[in-house]
Amino acid sequence: MALTGRQKLWWVLITVLVLVYALFPVLSILATSFKLPGDLSSGRFLPTTWTWENYAQILAPDGSARDLFLPALRNSIGISLIATLIAVVLATVAAYAIARLDFPGKRLVLTTALGVSIFPVISIVTPLFNIWRSIGLYDTWAGLIIPYLSLTLPISMWTLAAFFRQIPWELEQAAQVDGATPMQAFRKAIVPLAAPGVFTTALIAFFIAWNDFVYGISLTSTSAARPVPAALAFFTGESYFEDPTGAISAAAVVVTVPVIVLVLLFQRQIVAGLTQGAVKG
Amino acid sequence: MSHSASGPAPATDVNKPDRRGRSARPRASDRARSEARLGILLAAPAFIVMLAVTLYPIVQAFIDSLSRIRLTAPDANEFVGFGNYAVVLSDPVFWSAMWVTLFIMVVTVAVELVIGFALALVMHRAIKSLRGILRTAILVPYGIITVVSAFAWFYAFDISSGYVNSWFDWVPGVSEDLNWFASQGTSLFVIMASEIWKTTPFISLLLLAGLAQVPGELEEAAKVDGATSWQVFKRVIVPNMKAAIMVAVLFRALDAFRIFDNVFVMTNGANGTTVLSLLAYRTSIGRLEIGLGSAVSVLLFLSVVLICFVAIKLFKVDLSSARGGN
Amino acid sequence: MRRNRMVAATLGAALAVTVAGCAPDEGPPTLNWYINSDNGGQAQIAAECTEAADGAYTIETVLLPRDAAAQREQLARRLAAEDRSIDLMSLDPPFIPELSEPGFLAPVPEDVAEDVSQNVVQGSLDSATWNDELVAIPFWANTQLLWYRESVVEEAGLDMSQPVTWDQLIEVATDQDRYLAVQGIKGESLTVWINALITSAGGQIIENPGASAEDTELGLETDAGREAARIMGQIGREGLGGPGLPTADESASLQLFQGDDASFMVNWPFVWTSTQQAVEDGLIDQSVLDDFGWALYPAVTEGTDSAPPVGGINLGIGAFSDHTDLAFEAAQCIVTPEHQAFYMVNDGNPASNTEAYEDPEVQATFPMYELIRDSLEQAVPRPQTPLYNEISTGLQETWHPVSSVDPDTTPEAATELITAVLRGERLL
Repeated sequence: MALTGRQKLWWVLITVLVLVYALFPVLSILATSFKLPGDLSSGRFLPTTWTWENYAQILAPDGSARDLFLPALRNSIGISLIATLIAVVLATVAAYAIARLDFPGKRLVLTTALGVSIFPVISIVTPLFNIWRSIGLYDTWAGLIIPYLSLTLPISMWTLAAFFRQIPWELEQAAQVDGATPMQAFRKAIVPLAAPGVFTTALIAFFIAWNDFVYGISLTSTSAARPVPAALAFFTGESYFEDPTGAISAAAVVVTVPVIVLVLLFQRQIVAGLTQGAVKG
Repeated sequence: MSHSASGPAPATDVNKPDRRGRSARPRASDRARSEARLGILLAAPAFIVMLAVTLYPIVQAFIDSLSRIRLTAPDANEFVGFGNYAVVLSDPVFWSAMWVTLFIMVVTVAVELVIGFALALVMHRAIKSLRGILRTAILVPYGIITVVSAFAWFYAFDISSGYVNSWFDWVPGVSEDLNWFASQGTSLFVIMASEIWKTTPFISLLLLAGLAQVPGELEEAAKVDGATSWQVFKRVIVPNMKAAIMVAVLFRALDAFRIFDNVFVMTNGANGTTVLSLLAYRTSIGRLEIGLGSAVSVLLFLSVVLICFVAIKLFKVDLSSARGGN
Repeated sequence: MRRNRMVAATLGAALAVTVAGCAPDEGPPTLNWYINSDNGGQAQIAAECTEAADGAYTIETVLLPRDAAAQREQLARRLAAEDRSIDLMSLDPPFIPELSEPGFLAPVPEDVAEDVSQNVVQGSLDSATWNDELVAIPFWANTQLLWYRESVVEEAGLDMSQPVTWDQLIEVATDQDRYLAVQGIKGESLTVWINALITSAGGQIIENPGASAEDTELGLETDAGREAARIMGQIGREGLGGPGLPTADESASLQLFQGDDASFMVNWPFVWTSTQQAVEDGLIDQSVLDDFGWALYPAVTEGTDSAPPVGGINLGIGAFSDHTDLAFEAAQCIVTPEHQAFYMVNDGNPASNTEAYEDPEVQATFPMYELIRDSLEQAVPRPQTPLYNEISTGLQETWHPVSSVDPDTTPEAATELITAVLRGERLL
């Protein structure tokens, strides 16, 4: 499609607008993270003097919030990854069955997934708290991974079921006809086709687990399992009464970096996953 | 998976797998039975896990909601039947939370639909060289943690750490002295702004998928007939992606109805910004009134179910068709 | 963290303290101490007491949320589940009765009670007492002072060596068109202010603190309650608290007070060290700090002593702990005057033990140390009741925003709401 100069100008303008829309709040908290406590009230976007102090507070060996932030970061990464992994494995198996096999209750499984995905998380944290307390899952990784499955599993199933429906399964048979064993046929023909869908699903599930706040504040009590969004509520300023604006901003920036990296690397897959899994088939 | 690979797959339905057509076939054969067994076996773990982490706790919440339970007075528990529901349903606090939640839901979804459509059109039409950068940018809010978004917007507007007032003091009503988090309207404005910013990408991606389904020929034909862009949008594009729009709206509406993180971070419910999730949290976890809190939780759950039901019955949102296939 | 390094040196001497006890054969038990966030002082004290215990026990600190109400949530929920891993807790005083009443706190042995009450300021002792018994161990004790700008007071010709009243402050602030920094945020800080006004006026929020939920009588619809509402409403409506008042916490008040248009502020002593730090960072001019003055919390009625707010932290011992005896030993170690002095200098949180105020380091860091001590002696705690959370939240619900507070309607509305909530007839 040939573009006139005017059209090009329009597109550049639109792109700039979209970039401002999407990135401005990120830049805003980035700027805040470089401000000194006394600089916060300046009423200006950029810091008067730039400081690394807030980052030192959460990352440096003698930083006051380091013992709070680093374990939380470890927990967030570990718990989200494991919850994603389990959800994707379970969902892959289930979605394969849904896409390929005929069995009674298929609709029930999909409807349940839908029902769980609209479930108000807040409704179940209190009972979960009591159950976890009595069976020793409170404040453990497993105690968060299990409820996280209620967030990651439904969307993984929907997304993967949609992906699997598009896979040309006849390739598998064609390979078998060509003399490959079923295992080989599966590995050579199906895995390469299914892998992108599984990977995309994992990315989406990871974002969802990474985003959790309610389970995080309700089902943990120490840095043994507390994830980052919950840990932000534990930050403190230089003394008891001072607002932890700087430290929170710095921590917010640190946990946003992996998101931006993933988005930069995999924007095509994420878009494909969300659009195909969600509406198209 | 290796197991499944050897499973026989009827060649007839490889391209259009599953769905209703299949159940019409005779199902008594051994092969069909073993296929069904395998299917159940494979789908069962996910199914059981999903139920275990939601159904059991919600049943427990319902049982708790029938008693007066206060954690810090363990000896004073008593069975009150539906008494807690009577208290909740006759309380103006509950109804104010309900209206605020519905208000947030309606406004955010409406605004997101407009912005989301614009973003979807931009992504759909964008020239190749810009497509990557546009998609990347739009995905940033999608991936960001809601709590982080809440803090970003809060700090920008907060009277002591923000800069919005000094940037926009030329706007009528905005001045250096405007405290955004001191009244209902302005607090809700910032809360909704954060919510909209964070979740519009999701809705726009759903709409993008819908756009891809609009047959290009129709658009061309309309243009040849001399229709303006707006007419094309209204007469051709929108009608052809109704299903996608409905699904997007329903999903976001249910999501917005459960809003918690943004309110918790920014106002914690001050100035009439208490939403249902926050009320449930405050009652059962803040006040340790497990009975009352569980009643609010169950009502919240029922509201979500009701919205879903109304949408499906009244507006005929067909989730399975929209989600399932072409 | 940069601010208060110097003190570490003082500590060597402070170590030779009480705790002995024989080490069990199977290695020292670990005591979990749930602490509120601070500048690292509690962790430091924990390390020192571990060392002083010489193998009898090891103290490990576990951090609680920053917000007082959230701290209570965490602890109450876990204690209700009879959590054995909670040995020591840093407790915000208002929540102590709620945890003591159902037996979540281990009873303080008499000899320990006697030992830890020596030389402790009255406000702090009161806040650790429930049903006439000491149920927690006083650690540090906070109190609000009246801070003023010397220049403003001078211009107004106000004699600050004498007690001043809220009405005087309002008058000066109005005349000079300057802000009066108070905490109007919908949170615990607001209850602190309401309580200070009502008790300064000679009233009390709860008339019969020991009563059951149904029989609790509130003292809001009294002259004291109405007077408190009048003062608050006036400050709110006339904009004296600044535009940030509805969201102003301690930190925001300080910011307002450091600005050009400030006159007075009621706030905790952390404002002093915090402002010093800002001057060091070059963000605030030294002249601002030099302009700071301090006095006893303002009175409501001329000629009647004010009742300054008291806060701080007391140590509770978990009733389900496997090592309550060791936990009490550890608590005794934590609250020695030496540790309190260290904590005051390192973290800016005032000591509850008067002996700590003799420490030269304390006196150098807080030139107003005598005033802090006097204020603590005079302070009146927030209502002591297991229903504190409901009372406090109910007050915040009805007295916020401050500009809406009206002596004719607010106390009545608050009484109605809180009474209904206590009966289980209303939500909050």
